[in-house]
Amino acid sequence: MAKSNMAGEQGKQEVLITRLFDAPRALVWQAWTDPKHFMLWWGPKEYTCPFCEMDLRVGGKYLNCMRSPEGKEYWGTGVFREIIPMERLVFTDSFADEQGNVVAATYYGMGPDFPLEMLVTITFEDQEGRTKMTLRHIGLPAGPDTEGTHQGWSESFDKLAESLK
Amino acid sequence: MRRDIFQAIADPNRRAIIGLLASQKLTVNGVAEHFPISRPAVSRHIKILKECGLVVVRKQGRERYCELRLDRLNEVAEWVEQSRKEWNQRLDRLDEYLNELQKKEKKHGEK
Repeated sequence: MAKSNMAGEQGKQEVLITRLFDAPRALVWQAWTDPKHFMLWWGPKEYTCPFCEMDLRVGGKYLNCMRSPEGKEYWGTGVFREIIPMERLVFTDSFADEQGNVVAATYYGMGPDFPLEMLVTITFEDQEGRTKMTLRHIGLPAGPDTEGTHQGWSESFDKLAESLK
Repeated sequence: MRRDIFQAIADPNRRAIIGLLASQKLTVNGVAEHFPISRPAVSRHIKILKECGLVVVRKQGRERYCELRLDRLNEVAEWVEQSRKEWNQRLDRLDEYLNELQKKEKKHGEK
């Protein structure tokens, strides 16, 4: 069984984005971790971020909101898993209601195949005065049997694809 | 309890069952023959796969056959594409914001 029949080609099982920002690392870090800054850029173009709270410590929660030009709000919440200032930020990511309760993606009219919990890992590196930022976004399998693991389902997919060969 | 497709594939036994059903449809007993785990355990895994929408059980004569729905696995890739698009849009804005911020700082510095 070819991998392409499983979950797309290699690398499609997770979101991996690398960006070079023309700004010092400290500033990029601040943009991610200081709600005052975060609220000024979070969300796609034309969206606003009317609310953001962060308890920036390992195990601490965040809650934020994006508002579309039509006024539809999308709330997101999660827990910080790793914080190494200016180097590495790891947090879980789920859709939420405005009280911060986790909700399924279907709450916002998205497909039922969105994982309930996702994991975002961001790393920051200096590169000739600029900042190289790498963002990895993976889905985590639901259920208590996988709790506490940082392993995403992309790895399970690889194993599965292997077993289907 | 909420089931999702990610949970279906998180377990090595379930992955093996999916692998087995990818090439053939089998009865629960037929699946169980391939595994050292007990038949009730195999049944439980198949139940979870059913609840996740990955396996359908169809009656054929007196037997009930488990069939794999591979198309469901492909659907998972869709959220990845959607997420990638959203992240790129957000990071475009972060880029703009960082540029604006530094322009302002420069202006202040010149005054």
